Amino acid sequence: MLNEVIRTTLVEFADRVRGFAPNILAMLAILLVGVLAAGAVRFALGFVLPRLGVDRFAERSGLGDVARRAGLTRRPSRTIALAAAWVVLAVFMLLAVAALDVRVAVDLVSRAFAWLPHLLVAIALLLAGGLVAGFARRSVLIAAVNAGLPSARLLASGAHAALFVLFAAMALEEVGLGQRVVLTAFAISFGGVVLALALAFGLAGKEIARESLERLLRRRGPEDEDGLKHL
Amino acid sequence: MSVPLEPAVTERVRELGSAELVVGIPSYDNARTIGHVVRAVAAGLGKHFPGRSAVIVNSDGGSRDGTPQVVASTELGSPQAILARHPLGPVHKILTPYHGLPGKGSALRTIFAIAERLGARACAVVDSDLRSITPEWIELLLGPIVQHNFDYVAPLYLRHKYDGTITNSIVYPLTRALYGRDVRQPIGGEFGFSSRLASHYLARPVWESDVARFGIDVWMTTTALAGGFRVCESFLGAKIHDPKDPGADLAAMLVQVVSAVFDLMETHHDRWAGVEGAEPVPLFGFPHGVGLEPVSVNVERMLGIFGQGARDLGEVWGRALEPATLRDVAALAGAGEPEFRFRDALWVKVVHDFAIAYRRRALPREQLLRSLVPLYLGRTASFVLATRESDAADVEATIRGLADEFVRQKADLRDRWR
Repeated sequence: MLNEVIRTTLVEFADRVRGFAPNILAMLAILLVGVLAAGAVRFALGFVLPRLGVDRFAERSGLGDVARRAGLTRRPSRTIALAAAWVVLAVFMLLAVAALDVRVAVDLVSRAFAWLPHLLVAIALLLAGGLVAGFARRSVLIAAVNAGLPSARLLASGAHAALFVLFAAMALEEVGLGQRVVLTAFAISFGGVVLALALAFGLAGKEIARESLERLLRRRGPEDEDGLKHL
Repeated sequence: MSVPLEPAVTERVRELGSAELVVGIPSYDNARTIGHVVRAVAAGLGKHFPGRSAVIVNSDGGSRDGTPQVVASTELGSPQAILARHPLGPVHKILTPYHGLPGKGSALRTIFAIAERLGARACAVVDSDLRSITPEWIELLLGPIVQHNFDYVAPLYLRHKYDGTITNSIVYPLTRALYGRDVRQPIGGEFGFSSRLASHYLARPVWESDVARFGIDVWMTTTALAGGFRVCESFLGAKIHDPKDPGADLAAMLVQVVSAVFDLMETHHDRWAGVEGAEPVPLFGFPHGVGLEPVSVNVERMLGIFGQGARDLGEVWGRALEPATLRDVAALAGAGEPEFRFRDALWVKVVHDFAIAYRRRALPREQLLRSLVPLYLGRTASFVLATRESDAADVEATIRGLADEFVRQKADLRDRWR
């Protein structure tokens, strides 16, 4: 009796393995193709993008700065080639999982493909945030230095941080991570910072505020400050 | 392409038929001063060019203070008048140029077109806010064209040693080195030009661009130099005018002027790349010196902004300046007021580096040029410290020394521009 049960179990297991083997082989084949395809994409983009002037464009537009700030030390063309290779590999991995034809795996693949557009939008938001925040940081820094404000770097960093946090919050909301927590935390932080700045400027810096307003209302020109005329 | 004129102006031009001389006066809310300017122009035409048909053209940008009415009611004597209006769209009203009047480019285009249709031999343009204009200015602006066949007459004003520091440290020496002609004040509000040059100006595709809006004066001088036209200068004496745009700030002024010069460098690269040295241009009039009354200049503030720029803008300047130039600039930041000197050679390198960075768009262009302000203030502070005890001739020699340094380093600029 016991022997019969064991024998039946082993036979059924062997049948299942025989039935499932093609799926596993298909998965391995897809993975292999994926690795080759990813390698080819990386090689092709690594060859073409620098010749299209992508690195120069990234430097001019400030994307290179954004990437370096995010810890990406490779040349932008190499980073793009590597990212594209990983995306290709990820797609093939999902297809490989789907080849197993297991319900859980199929569900996982469906959800992953539904989530992918949101992820791409979030990445685009982060990149845009990095660009906008970097531009604002430089603009504020230059304007503050030209105005002779002693805390130019602090102001510039503040502008950069505020804008990047705003874009990061939007990106997190897009991918659906802690939507309420992120939104609430951002609103509280931003409101708190604005209130603190208003209080600091109004109380500690009321003389500066008065002088700034007076200067603004007088619309003083550059030639009032010095006897020289620039043109 | 023919410039569209208002029907009334077209009719008036047809009625007049032709004119030998045209004097244009662009205006915008200049009712207080334009009557004096029109009378001086009319007197100058009558006194120095008797018997020649002449027309005064007022191109107004939509004044609300009755400027055209003042012109219409001013007694002219022999010259005829045309009252035109140049288009002044909302963009002009918002983006007011650093000096002069809004839409000056449009005003000049209208004046050039009228001069061309009247078949004028010689034309002049004078600002409408002048208080120091005399009838002799008209002779000095039109005479070299009528009597000596020049194409462009640039003004030479009597100025204090600390006036025109952007002109003296960037526009004049760079323009001189690039185009090889010594035009001392390339940004003047008054000038004379031949009909040949007016037609050349009208044919240039710049009239809808920022150059027409903000850099029209330096554009006209540069276009005449780059086009190989016969250029001279006329000494007009002191220029006194109504206070200029009080809201203009230094950074905006520097951006507008320097971007116009750098844009023109790109346009005329083929021309300037082959020019060596610099020659004087003929001068009309009788130059004389100027008394140097003390002028208060806050050198400490300038050095403060320069020092802060060296501390905080290293990352930005690093995108524009060569590493060696950046190192030399940073080394200057520690120097105190009496001994602070921003050497000519270093300043020329800075300007060349910025011109190249502007061309390759190392940063958004406005940001790039705004970051030049602390460097410019450092250079200006150095100039003031070096010339505190100097008279006008010494100061002029100092400026000439800088201009010669620009010429010496031109080969390097040419090599790096490729």
